[in-house]
Amino acid sequence: MKLKKQQICWFSNIDGYLIVMQIECQNISYQYPQTDTHVFEHLSCQVTGPGFHALFGQSGLGKTTLARMIAGELTGYSGQIQSRQIYEILYTHNMERFPGWAGIGDMMESTIQASGRDMLNELVDAFGIQPVMNARFSQLSLGQKNRANLIRYLLQKFDLLIMDESLANVDETTRGRIIITLKTLFPEKCFLYISHNMMEIAKFCNQIVVLRSPCKHPQTSMISGQNLMTENNFVMKELEQTMLEIVHAS
Amino acid sequence: MLHRRIQQFVLVYFLGLLSLLLVKYLLNLSDYVIPGPVEIWQTCKSVFARYVFNVLDTLWIAVVGHIISIILAFMVGILGRHNSWIGSLIKATAYSIQAYPIVAVAPIIFILLGDGLMTRLLIAVMICYFPLLLSVIGILSEPVDSIEHFYVSTKRMNWRLQVRIRAYENINKLTTVIAGSATMAVVGTIIAEFIAADAGIGYSIRTALYQSDLSKILTALFLIGISTSLYLTGLEWVGNVIQKKCQA
Repeated sequence: MKLKKQQICWFSNIDGYLIVMQIECQNISYQYPQTDTHVFEHLSCQVTGPGFHALFGQSGLGKTTLARMIAGELTGYSGQIQSRQIYEILYTHNMERFPGWAGIGDMMESTIQASGRDMLNELVDAFGIQPVMNARFSQLSLGQKNRANLIRYLLQKFDLLIMDESLANVDETTRGRIIITLKTLFPEKCFLYISHNMMEIAKFCNQIVVLRSPCKHPQTSMISGQNLMTENNFVMKELEQTMLEIVHAS
Repeated sequence: MLHRRIQQFVLVYFLGLLSLLLVKYLLNLSDYVIPGPVEIWQTCKSVFARYVFNVLDTLWIAVVGHIISIILAFMVGILGRHNSWIGSLIKATAYSIQAYPIVAVAPIIFILLGDGLMTRLLIAVMICYFPLLLSVIGILSEPVDSIEHFYVSTKRMNWRLQVRIRAYENINKLTTVIAGSATMAVVGTIIAEFIAADAGIGYSIRTALYQSDLSKILTALFLIGISTSLYLTGLEWVGNVIQKKCQA
């Protein structure tokens, strides 16, 4: 595949060929240790290019398991997970906590370099947690906890960030605003968003990997989302069509 | 807290004393076996001041022994928290030694070091240290995934941060374990004095035993109970202050 270099920044040149940022799962099979439960049987899927992508599926189908496999936190599966132009993968989930011995502002600053301070301020404003920056993590609401946790991950070096229900307990308007902020501030990064909110996924995500039960083949289905860059600028019919496709695929 | 703890101890002590006197009168035992209340009171008055000093002597050894045990337990516990070869070795050794009654090992220390301060201190430390070590290893080897995940993923985790996270998250358990091990430090010191010392309340009990003087033993037990209650209350107070500071 030969592409024009100036088209998109997430392509790199190797011997005259341009390689696209991609994560690809090939023929993945996995069963939980000491059980007969097969989570994946010959699962294959891929996400290509930077942007906001989604992993969607009913509860218990293995979204978190697959995410942890991609992040390298879970091994013992057969098949291959290959990445191109993706070197740093981070996985974050909504159950994470900050240590409790200092305020969240101090804890965030302790994990960034001086150059990241401007980005920290920008994210704090966009995520709406400025008033609680001096509070301890335990004093925050669930939504504030998730937003604070996401910010500290965004300040790290990453090519792919897997967000496992990272915006749970956050109201819909703020969630939309946060996703648009991510897409604007990190256009060259790849996000894989796990959520049960079908409308949100259909609205904001580019590629949607729909995970299906292990008895269905293929176990994944790929849907194109609306990939909106603004919250309200969408055609309802198209959005409904995408949502219908997701429902049919799952 | 102190007031209630001492009240409870005094109640238990006098219930025990009452039972002993009940046995004496029911079985018609002589004063030589179990002395009467008047004799107990008179003996108490005569030895009280001397025994207070003996108890204080024992208590400071117990406190020093306890502090040494805590420091040692944390140092070795930090090494033993890993699932590595060294961690397994430390755990296996601690469990094996814990299975031995230290009282049975104590004479070896007595033979090697003779009687005196070092022997008392060493036996107190040994009795207190191993249970404390096992608890500390248990607490520090338990990952706090919800907090540690970020630091592991971003390769920021180091041993100091890991220990800090686990200790902070288990501060209640740690303070309880440390306060609980204080009684073992006191018991260890008294045992050490009982078998290998020329000072302390344990030594006084041994002397009273040779004289078959139950009144002296009862007085010693009363003072041991009071001093242990004081020490435990002090430790619990420190524990509460630490916990409150952590939660502030």
